Amino acid sequence: MCGIVGYIGERQAQPILLNCLHRLEYRGYDSCGIAVLGGAVEIYKDAVRVKALANTAPSLNGIVGIGHTRWATHGEPSKANAHPHCDCTGKIAVVHNGVINNFQKLRQQLASEGHNFVSETDTEVIPHLIEKYYDGDLAKAVEAALHELEGSYAIIALVSGESRLVVARKDGPLVIGVGDRENFIASDVPAMLDYTNRVIYLEDDDIAIVSPDNIEVRRHGVEVDRKEHKISWSVEDAQKAGYEHFMLKEIHEQPKVIRDTIAGYVSATEKGADLALLGDVGLEGMLILACGTSYHAALIGKYILEELVRVPVKAELASEFNYYGHTPVRSRAIVITQSGETADVIKTIRRMREAGCWVVAVTNVVGSTASRIADQIIYTRAGPEISVAATKSFIAQLMALYWLALPYSKIDIRKLDNLITGLRQLPGKVQQVLDNESAIAELARQLASCENVFFIGRGINFPVALEGALKLKEVSYIHAEGYAAGELKHGPFALLGSNTPVVAIVAQDNTYEPMLTNIKEVKARRSPVIAVVEEGDEVIGELVDSVITVPKVDAIFSPVVNTVALQLLAYYTAKHRGCPVDFPRNLAKSVTVE
Amino acid sequence: MKQAVILAAGEGQRLRPFTVNRPKVMLSIADKPILQYVVESLAQNGIRNIVLVVGYRKDQVFDYMGSGNQFGVNITYVTQGKQLGTAHALAQAKGVTENEFLVLPGDNLIQADTIAQFVTLEPEAVLVKRVDNPGGYGVVTMDGGMVTEIVEKPEEARSNIVSTGIYSFTTEIFNFIEPELNIPDVVNNMITHGHHIDARETEGTWLDVIYPWDILDLNDAILRQIQASSGGTIEAGVSLKDQVSVGKNTVIRSNSYVAGPVVIGDGCDIGPNVCILPATSIGNNVVISPFTHIKNSVIGDDVNISAGCIIQDSVIDKGCIIKGHFMACSGQDEIKVNHEHYLVSMGAMLGEGCSLGNNVVAQPGVIVGNYTQVQSLKLISGRLPDRSMVF
Repeated sequence: MCGIVGYIGERQAQPILLNCLHRLEYRGYDSCGIAVLGGAVEIYKDAVRVKALANTAPSLNGIVGIGHTRWATHGEPSKANAHPHCDCTGKIAVVHNGVINNFQKLRQQLASEGHNFVSETDTEVIPHLIEKYYDGDLAKAVEAALHELEGSYAIIALVSGESRLVVARKDGPLVIGVGDRENFIASDVPAMLDYTNRVIYLEDDDIAIVSPDNIEVRRHGVEVDRKEHKISWSVEDAQKAGYEHFMLKEIHEQPKVIRDTIAGYVSATEKGADLALLGDVGLEGMLILACGTSYHAALIGKYILEELVRVPVKAELASEFNYYGHTPVRSRAIVITQSGETADVIKTIRRMREAGCWVVAVTNVVGSTASRIADQIIYTRAGPEISVAATKSFIAQLMALYWLALPYSKIDIRKLDNLITGLRQLPGKVQQVLDNESAIAELARQLASCENVFFIGRGINFPVALEGALKLKEVSYIHAEGYAAGELKHGPFALLGSNTPVVAIVAQDNTYEPMLTNIKEVKARRSPVIAVVEEGDEVIGELVDSVITVPKVDAIFSPVVNTVALQLLAYYTAKHRGCPVDFPRNLAKSVTVE
Repeated sequence: MKQAVILAAGEGQRLRPFTVNRPKVMLSIADKPILQYVVESLAQNGIRNIVLVVGYRKDQVFDYMGSGNQFGVNITYVTQGKQLGTAHALAQAKGVTENEFLVLPGDNLIQADTIAQFVTLEPEAVLVKRVDNPGGYGVVTMDGGMVTEIVEKPEEARSNIVSTGIYSFTTEIFNFIEPELNIPDVVNNMITHGHHIDARETEGTWLDVIYPWDILDLNDAILRQIQASSGGTIEAGVSLKDQVSVGKNTVIRSNSYVAGPVVIGDGCDIGPNVCILPATSIGNNVVISPFTHIKNSVIGDDVNISAGCIIQDSVIDKGCIIKGHFMACSGQDEIKVNHEHYLVSMGAMLGEGCSLGNNVVAQPGVIVGNYTQVQSLKLISGRLPDRSMVF
């Protein structure tokens, strides 16, 4: 899963391609490359970061070009495996994001027809297929080649002799940026925002022919009309603005994200918009499906909906759910995906809809695949999240879940009023956690020298423990595991010792007493304990080694402040360890493979 | 002149509780931080290359100003590790400046016309202004348009012309900066070494805020210039008089009366039957319940004010939750800050995150620290430290 870019216009392509690729690096960054069409096709690529490539690249002359930044799926990161890939003549160059499932068969077939392969990638079959069908018209050749492919792709192709780019997508994101006598192509919008804020989203099975002043889109042989959108994000949204890392900037954006989200939902309710998307759920209950951090939001969503709406809710991992022999039938399902492109979740949406289920998608990206194939969409509007580790998108997902639940609450109206007031207080409460940042940074020093850390929580904060562990794992490479506090003694205790700190999330709800007991059990095994506690808690300080204090909120909102504290803990631990916080090894932002 | 260095690292200790969680430059006047007025004034005069020297609570500056694109400028951030003085702050910008640049304090509120003439001058120069109370500033003595000396906070001011803290310099100044000194001392040093420093006077806006109650004066001055606008929902029966600005997604409910100049932020829920009188600024995500009367006050983000409250000449910082019948009526009081006494006319000053029960009465002049909790039926007065509990 990778990032691809293309440029065709009047300016030199190389600097533009490299700049766009740099912005796409959060999609993958183990290798990269560009192809520029001047007289001939010239390619420069290597298993390095984009900045390194830009420093060593010779000046390639041309006003048409394509580029790629890679997250390896087939073939290790290497110069030979990096894109762009060409055909035997070196006249056709292709960049590809996705996975070609039948590439082995195609490769054998093409090799037997005389084609020469130089890499281990699945992508390489594509330029050779185009070569096979090329007869002076690139678009026709690409169309014929695509017929033979099984799998997912977003590709951009060019050929020496034709002054245009042919692009196509199927299960992989691709956006065209519209300029003035020049056009841009990229895997997503932030890549192009330096140059234009007018974009056209391509649909699956679209093939587009892009020249400097014309964009023609065809689907199944017929010309189609794709609307132009104007993007209101600015390049600034995608820049660090004083912060050392995107992750820290995005953590600090959370009070504003919460405030903006509340304003949007309140306004929508005022205007009579139907936020009540749950329909008539009843006792059969509903499903929430997601992956990764969004799955943790799904688990918290389960608690929120069960508590407020009093219906049974099951949270499922999309990657597992897709392989159940039998699709559980429900009338309603919610899927959560920040990027809107997560392959496992897209598959889930299709599967559920086929089974007659009404699917609501919670996503952060307007125009993403999930938003176009679900029955209803809730946009989290957190702005682009550049850091690979999800922070503000997770908090925004929680806000969406609170707002989904509120119109359906079966709780007492007095409690409901208090909840809504409490919701409006959240921006300030989160800011208070951020104001306490330096204390958390100090504590992070302790964790920085550990190799194993446990996170424990109960009830609505059990998923917070899972998320805290995931964040620490992702950015600081420490082996961290989240556990339901009651489960630790059923095995993991064997791993505890003075070198395995335990982070305990202690909420002021009916799980408070059992958590105290669990903490005592952990202390008996001599593990250092860091407790995340509500301010004013006098008891905990005596039992544990260190304390992170968070402001007082209603128990149902405690995941919000607790998670922000753990985000900061993960960030500063990674910083103390000197890890590349925004671009962790082996990870990419949007997982578009299964 | 294409570039400006803005000094935005200072704490503003005398403005507590409002500067515990934000630097002085981020104090909000008519729903905009002071720093934004400075940046916008520069942009309107064609200066779009900004170096921002930050320090105390710089995250608050990053969060709001970002890369500056939103304000039409390009910001480079430079950090002053310890706040040792204005010259030390300026020294942090060495190596990042062009040959000529303006230097401005980020915590004095100016407008475009304040510096319109000044930006056309050749360095080195200082912008001066006549004020009524020169004793608190750097008094400038001049000879034929050139500065002879700047004397900070003199016992006996020789004139009422003071430095606004706005200068135009060349990179020469970095040769005269020593870590402990403030810029006026550096300027005096330069004059001794034969430099000619022009003095130009401005008639434009130049406002400083030193004590919490000064916020009300600046708020009033700036609100006189706002234009009416509405991005929200105004229900039937609401009266908006004069210049009232309503943010997006805000609802003003029936029978409320808002007399401008008033500015209201985004996502607020006001009314029904709420009365807001000039000159009041209300932030974002604020809820105000029926029969509450607010006059000449500044209300921060996320505040929740219940029914039947009277709030006059007051500043309420973000996140406060105030239950019914809160009385903060205006009156005169003598307030002590550090070791000085001031006679002030005002209501109450509440820090952020305070929680007040029902029927709390605030004596005029009370200054309440951040995160204070006050039980119902209490009378609060004097100065309460952060995290006080009044039971």
